[in-house]
Amino acid sequence: MSRIIVVTSGKGGVGKTTSTANLGMALAQLGRKVAVVDADFGLRNLDLLLGLENRVVYTAVEVLAGECRLDQALVKDKRQNRLVLLPAAQNRTKDAVTPDQMKQLVVSLAESYDYILVDSPAGIEMGFQNAIAAAQEALVVTTPEISAVRDADRVVGLLEANGIKKIHLIVNRLKPAMVQANDMMSVADVQEILAISLIGVVPDDERVIVSTNKGEPLVLADAPSLAGLAFNNIARRLEGEKVDFLDLTANNEGLLNRFKKLLNYKIF
Amino acid sequence: MSSDASVPASVPVVPPAPSEVDRNSQVRFKSEGGRLVLLLPPEDVGDSINPLSWTEIWQQLKQRLDGSERFWQPNTTVHLIARDRLLDSRQLQAIADALTEAQLQLKRVYTSRRQTAVAAATSGYSVEQQPTVAHLNQPTEEAGQAMAEPLYLQTTLRSGNEIRHNGTIIILGDSNPGSAIVADGDIIVWGRLRGVAQAGAKGNSRCLILALQMEPTQIRIANFVARAPENPPGQFYPEIAYATPQGIRITRASDFSRP
Repeated sequence: MSRIIVVTSGKGGVGKTTSTANLGMALAQLGRKVAVVDADFGLRNLDLLLGLENRVVYTAVEVLAGECRLDQALVKDKRQNRLVLLPAAQNRTKDAVTPDQMKQLVVSLAESYDYILVDSPAGIEMGFQNAIAAAQEALVVTTPEISAVRDADRVVGLLEANGIKKIHLIVNRLKPAMVQANDMMSVADVQEILAISLIGVVPDDERVIVSTNKGEPLVLADAPSLAGLAFNNIARRLEGEKVDFLDLTANNEGLLNRFKKLLNYKIF
Repeated sequence: MSSDASVPASVPVVPPAPSEVDRNSQVRFKSEGGRLVLLLPPEDVGDSINPLSWTEIWQQLKQRLDGSERFWQPNTTVHLIARDRLLDSRQLQAIADALTEAQLQLKRVYTSRRQTAVAAATSGYSVEQQPTVAHLNQPTEEAGQAMAEPLYLQTTLRSGNEIRHNGTIIILGDSNPGSAIVADGDIIVWGRLRGVAQAGAKGNSRCLILALQMEPTQIRIANFVARAPENPPGQFYPEIAYATPQGIRITRASDFSRP
C-alpha cells in the first residue's frame, strides 16, 4: 500500500518545498520508491531544489491534456534512481487543474510508488485544494513564529474538514539559543496550540540556503549537518522506526561531537 | 485575569441590527421526534458579494459531524432541510456520504427548489417540496424568539473556524487564536479560550462566558467589548465573564455569584 502525503503549511517560506525535497530523497535512500509531486503551478520550485530543472520536458498539465504519458513527464533523479519528480507547469496558474484531475494523477502514481509526497503551494485557495485532493496523510510544516503557527492551525482545521485525520507536525528553522533565551517560541509552545503529533524538529541552518542554490538536498551532502540529520530522522519515523528527537539544546561544542557520534552510529 | 481591576476598559459598541444576525446562520443539527434534522442555511446567507459557498457549507457540516458524533445513536434517521439552496445530485451524495460516515442515514429531503427536489428524488430519497415562503424555521422579524437548544461540540476550534448559534454554545476542547464563537446565549469553553467569544449576540447582557482557562483575544457580551490584559496572568483558574453597566468583568468561577 503506497502512502500519499501532502506537505503543507498555509504560510509561505516556512520550508514546505525544502522538506519535500529532503524527505523524498531521504526516503529514497532508505530504499523506498518515491514520487515527489509539485502542486505549486505557476511558482514551481521543487525541481530547483532537487537540481532537476534542466531535465523537465513535460509537466502535469501536459499529462492531463493527453499530450504525453505520465511516465514521460516523470523526471528521474540523477543521483538516486528510486526518486522521481512530477513537475508542475510554470506557464499556468493554480486554476489550470482541478482537484479531481490532481487526484487522478496522484492515484495513478500510487500504483507504482511507495510514497507520493505532494508539495503544496502556500495559501488555502485552489492550489491547496488541488494538493490535498488525493492525500491520506499530511505533514504540516511551521516555523516557531506566531504567524506561521496561526496559519498552520487554520490549515490543520481545513485538513480535518477534508477528512485527512493523520496529520503530523514538523517544526522548522528552530534556533535553540533563542528558545533558551526566551526570544523564540519553543516546540512545546507550538504543540500546545496545534495539538497534533510532532514528527520532527529541524534546526535553522545556513547550509539549507547553499543546498537550495546548488540543487542538492541536504540529506545528500557529504558534510553532515544537523538539519540533514533531522530530515533523515523524520523519514525514518515515517517508516515507523522509533528515533529519539535530536537534543538541540546542548551547547555547540558538545552538540557537534554528539551528532558526529550519532552519525557514526545510525547513518553510515 | 482574576480580579475585576485587571480587565482593561470596556467600550460599548453598536449592537447589530436584529435582521443581520440571521444572515449568519450556519449548518445546524436539531433533534426532533427521535430523528435528526439537518438545516442548511438559506441561499441568501452571507453578503451579496460573497454568498456562502457549497465548500463552506460542506466544511461546516463536516465540523459539526466531527464535533457531535459521540452523542448520536447509530443509524439515526436524518431529514435534510435544504430550504432554497440548490443542491445537485453530487452534492446530495457528498452530504449522504458524510452522514453515513457518522453512522447516520439520510432519508428525506425538504426543499423549495425544483432542481433540488428532482436531484433528491433521482437519488432515491423521499422528497417534500415546499413553497419558498412558508418553510420551517423561517427567520421572523419579531422580537422575543425562543433560543435554540444548546450546541454542544467536542472539537478544537482552529484559526478561521467560526461557530454561530442562536442559543448557548458549549465547546469541549480549546478555542485557538483566530477562531470565533458567537452565541445568542452563554458560551462555555471546557478548555482554553484564546479566540474571540461573543455571548448574548442579540443583545442579552445577562449572558455569560465561562472558560477553564480564560486567555481570549477579545470577549464581547451584548454590546460590550473587552480585550485581554497586555500581561497575561501567571496562573489560570476557571473563570466567568459577565457584563455590568460599567463593562465586562471577570471573576474566578469559585467566587462567582450574580451581582
